[in-house]
Amino acid sequence: MENNNPLSPHIQIYSWHISSLISIVHRITGVINIIAITLICLWIGSLLFGETSYEITKTFLQSFFGKFFILGLSWSFSFQILSEIRHLIWDLGYGFELKTTKITGIFVIFGSLFFTILIYLLGKQII
Amino acid sequence: MNIVTKKWLFLKFSSVILIPLMGWFIFNLVSIFDKDYVEVVIFFSTQPSKFLVSLLLVFAFFYSALSISEIFKDYVHDEKIKNTANKLLFIFAISIPLITILIIFNLNI
Repeated sequence: MENNNPLSPHIQIYSWHISSLISIVHRITGVINIIAITLICLWIGSLLFGETSYEITKTFLQSFFGKFFILGLSWSFSFQILSEIRHLIWDLGYGFELKTTKITGIFVIFGSLFFTILIYLLGKQII
Repeated sequence: MNIVTKKWLFLKFSSVILIPLMGWFIFNLVSIFDKDYVEVVIFFSTQPSKFLVSLLLVFAFFYSALSISEIFKDYVHDEKIKNTANKLLFIFAISIPLITILIIFNLNI
């Protein structure tokens, strides 16, 4: 029998909140991170083929796309770390008030951007 | 103890270990990603990075396998597909870190 019930709440009319946004991005960055770690495993594996074959990987990593990949990964890792700390604080029974969840949510978003820049600058010894 | 509670505790335990390891790794990755072959091999083949990267891989794949199996539980409703997907996921989560750790421990200049 065909189900004609309407979908509710539908994604097009759903009112976005900071908590739902963080929750979805937490899952997406989790998937991105494990794909990236798998690629890093392949990168480590490529080291077995010697210095000559490594030149191709090095050229990619030194290109704009390589740097963009690393910068993106820094953000994805930073977001996941901060969001996971937020989850652990919840697990301890703190931070459930509506105002607090909004503040910690905003901290995760802006904190991840701040740490991405900080990690990149410190890692490249620019500061 | 309930199996779901055990799974939750394993997830939380691995996330506590992963947080500092991820921070340490991303900082070092930014430092070495565009370096020469010799410098990259030295990073992965010397201590403490050899041990810490191995630890990161074990916990990252363990954590991901547990998390992704939860996503399968939420969104895959066909039992056969769900079981196959979970089996493939656990084979992947064991083999990839194991092979990479073997490579790391066999790397030398």
